[in-house]
Amino acid sequence: MLPLLTGTAAAQPAPATPPTESRTMDMTMEVNGQVHRLALDPRTTLLDALREHIGLTGSKKGCDQGQCGACTVLLDGRRVLGCLTLAASVGGRQVTTIEGLSRPEGALHPMQQAFLDHDAFQCGYCTPGQILSAVACVREGHAGSAEDIREYMSGNLCRCAAYPQIVAAVQQAAPQVERS
Amino acid sequence: MPDGIGTDHQRIDGRAKVTGGARYASDVMLGNVAHAWLVTSAIARGHITGMDEAAARAVPGVLEVFSHRNMHGAVAETEFFAKGGYVGSTIRPLESDRIWHDGQIVAMVVADTLEAAREAAFRLQVEYREEQPAAGFDAAGVEVKAASEGGFEDPEVGDADRAYGNAEVKIEAEYSTPTQHHNPIELFTTTAHWVGGKLELHEGSQFVHGLKNGVAAQLGIDPADVHVVSPFVGGAFGSRGSLTQRTALVAEAARRLGRPVKLVPTRDQGFTIATYRAETRQKVKLAAGRDGKLQALVHEGWEVTSRPDPYKVGGTATTARIYACPNVRTKVNLVHADRNTPGFMRSPPELPYMFALESAMDELAVALNMDPVELRRVNDTQREPIKGLPYSSRNLVGCLDAGAKAFGWERRNPAPRSMRQGEWLVGWGMATSIYPTHIGAATARVTLLPSGHARVQTAAHDVGTGAYTAIGLAAAEGLGVSLDKVAVELGDSDLPPAPVAGGSNTTASVCNVVMKACDEIRARRAQGQQGAIEVYAENVPEGLPPEAIGKLYQGRNALGGGLEGGKQAMAAFGAIFVEVRVHERTREVRVPRAVGAFAAGRIVSPRQAHSQLTGGMIWGIGAALHETTEIDHRTARYMNDNLSEYLVPVNADIQQLDVIMLDERDSQANPLGIKGIGELGNVGTNAAVANAVFHATGTRPRHLPVRIEQLLG
Repeated sequence: MLPLLTGTAAAQPAPATPPTESRTMDMTMEVNGQVHRLALDPRTTLLDALREHIGLTGSKKGCDQGQCGACTVLLDGRRVLGCLTLAASVGGRQVTTIEGLSRPEGALHPMQQAFLDHDAFQCGYCTPGQILSAVACVREGHAGSAEDIREYMSGNLCRCAAYPQIVAAVQQAAPQVERS
Repeated sequence: MPDGIGTDHQRIDGRAKVTGGARYASDVMLGNVAHAWLVTSAIARGHITGMDEAAARAVPGVLEVFSHRNMHGAVAETEFFAKGGYVGSTIRPLESDRIWHDGQIVAMVVADTLEAAREAAFRLQVEYREEQPAAGFDAAGVEVKAASEGGFEDPEVGDADRAYGNAEVKIEAEYSTPTQHHNPIELFTTTAHWVGGKLELHEGSQFVHGLKNGVAAQLGIDPADVHVVSPFVGGAFGSRGSLTQRTALVAEAARRLGRPVKLVPTRDQGFTIATYRAETRQKVKLAAGRDGKLQALVHEGWEVTSRPDPYKVGGTATTARIYACPNVRTKVNLVHADRNTPGFMRSPPELPYMFALESAMDELAVALNMDPVELRRVNDTQREPIKGLPYSSRNLVGCLDAGAKAFGWERRNPAPRSMRQGEWLVGWGMATSIYPTHIGAATARVTLLPSGHARVQTAAHDVGTGAYTAIGLAAAEGLGVSLDKVAVELGDSDLPPAPVAGGSNTTASVCNVVMKACDEIRARRAQGQQGAIEVYAENVPEGLPPEAIGKLYQGRNALGGGLEGGKQAMAAFGAIFVEVRVHERTREVRVPRAVGAFAAGRIVSPRQAHSQLTGGMIWGIGAALHETTEIDHRTARYMNDNLSEYLVPVNADIQQLDVIMLDERDSQANPLGIKGIGELGNVGTNAAVANAVFHATGTRPRHLPVRIEQLLG
């Protein structure tokens, strides 16, 4: 069984062989402090729920199989892959996406600012995942050295290869993120 | 100091990118959108004999199953881009039951939801009659043709074979480079939306005017009725330059269903529905006198392509012209196999061919007992040897000097296996980098408001290259305003056309035309014109015909410059120095540091240029040690079509990288003296790594990527 049950959502029978019945499942998720009530196909991933149903497209789909890190979001402050997390499983927990790190016209989060300062991205597609991963990397205590940062940021691929700049950005932001 | 060319500045599109506000193609939210899912071929050659759609159509929410049964004739045949057309592959999926390659699109399921489309796609039963495919070089049934049959000019001068026979010192070796896939992190998504008979396309593109005109030709509609929107592109590297066949299919599906259709293909589908870097095999012969001066250079290459399309890598156009050598003979051969059509991938000709030449130069240096840096210095030239054209500027020697100094090259013990640290064998290697300087016809509209704010509009593309910022800096300089007052609009086919983001031409092509518009605005202000001033400018670089602008509006590129045409040869140069460590027992290879020194004309936006060159060098390290698409030669199918098994460099693979940008003024190349840098960094880096591995181990790697198994035994 999939870990579907959170909140008041009712259990559904296991997926049947054809014909599959059309059905949705009521679910609740709290994203960036805002509660969303959704009725979705139970197979919907957290990533697709964010992008296709809530309209938060900052989280990116790069592989949909947990290999690239572009969909990294924070779940109760820990980094998870949105493409490998079912939307129905996050009820009662707090999801933070790139849109939730700072206010639209306000000051940037120190990690966002550091990425900007160090030109730690090029095309920018992996960047939301990199930044959320970097915040978690610091909070996990894995930003003590360049070597540690390189190791613990290696789950986030950057095809433009801004890796040295990413390490510099994490080093710049780490003291402020540790205090926050 | 006012902002302008050379100002160190953060990316002007950076805030959007770090906040999630940058909207890539699949981020566009449209009402009532239907979702498409592709079904791709399980065989590489043969025919579809049956398709059972019942189970797929029974999935609730499925709207249509598109296949050759209902799409035959929907997408018109168009020319291969290299023959003046738009498409990167002339293989039309869903046109017939014929299968040309592994992973060819055989059906597209469209449903109300992503989940339903995916389920239905997996329930579609396709039956095939399979024929034995030819996967590549060694397979029976491939067809080998000289590239010259398709009009490629094999550079040649003097009598290379006689000179080789007479020379005192000579080497001869064979090299190979693998199939590689671009793997931009953004998938090959397309969203098509018809509004009042007009098609709106959201697709990451390196050439929005090409996409607009190409899709119009495929669907038989007026190009004026196609609008391509692509302000942000999640990596491209050549993969989004010419049209893929998926776009027209999605557009046709949206037209028939009367609602927007969004396709987000899977990562593995991206390996077969777009292009890739062709696999090569190469033979190089070099001969020199005892003084190291080259007397003969022979370079022959074989490249895999598809059955119908003559895609050519053709890096001999560069390797024949880089060093002073009086006798050169080259030849390029195309090997047609049952594969999808390859295409441009970052430094398309130079990356594989310079690997072979620069490895051979290292082998020659060993044979001569000469320092490899000195060998490049001895053979430096200010004229390319084939036609004797002068280089507009060339400072390879400056790069060699600066790179060697920063790296500490003089401390190198030339003997292989002579340097070590603990259990690690240490090797130092180097290579030359070169990338031809291209510039194309371009147009732009610049508006200066009385408030001092300015707007630049041109359908150029920022695929991560920093084009927004570079173009903004050129306008800031041209108008004498600060960069924060300049708004730059790119990546939209409603804007005045600019060339493909390829061949590293964008900065030169677009900054020159923007400057032209700015000059006109300043002139009008000097004449007393008041109020907002809007100027549209066109620029046709020297050597291109006036009709280049008209062709650009038709989505056809006209790029000038480079090494072959005109009255001069134009290129950017670099020297790459790499340290590797090879573990004595496991043969694991690490790259603790690398230095690249580059002379690439006027650097417009230094911070972004630094990122481009660093990223390029990391691509070179990846090409040397990691990247290869594995092919099952029995079935001609890809075996590692995902990001955990197709290895690309990760953060932990990269340590210290230093980039040096030499000051270079080139008034001959173009008015602003700009050379391209996006593809310079990875050229030669692969050879520098391999040469360092030889120095560390005494084993010469001639086949990329260099993996542990090559170094054992």
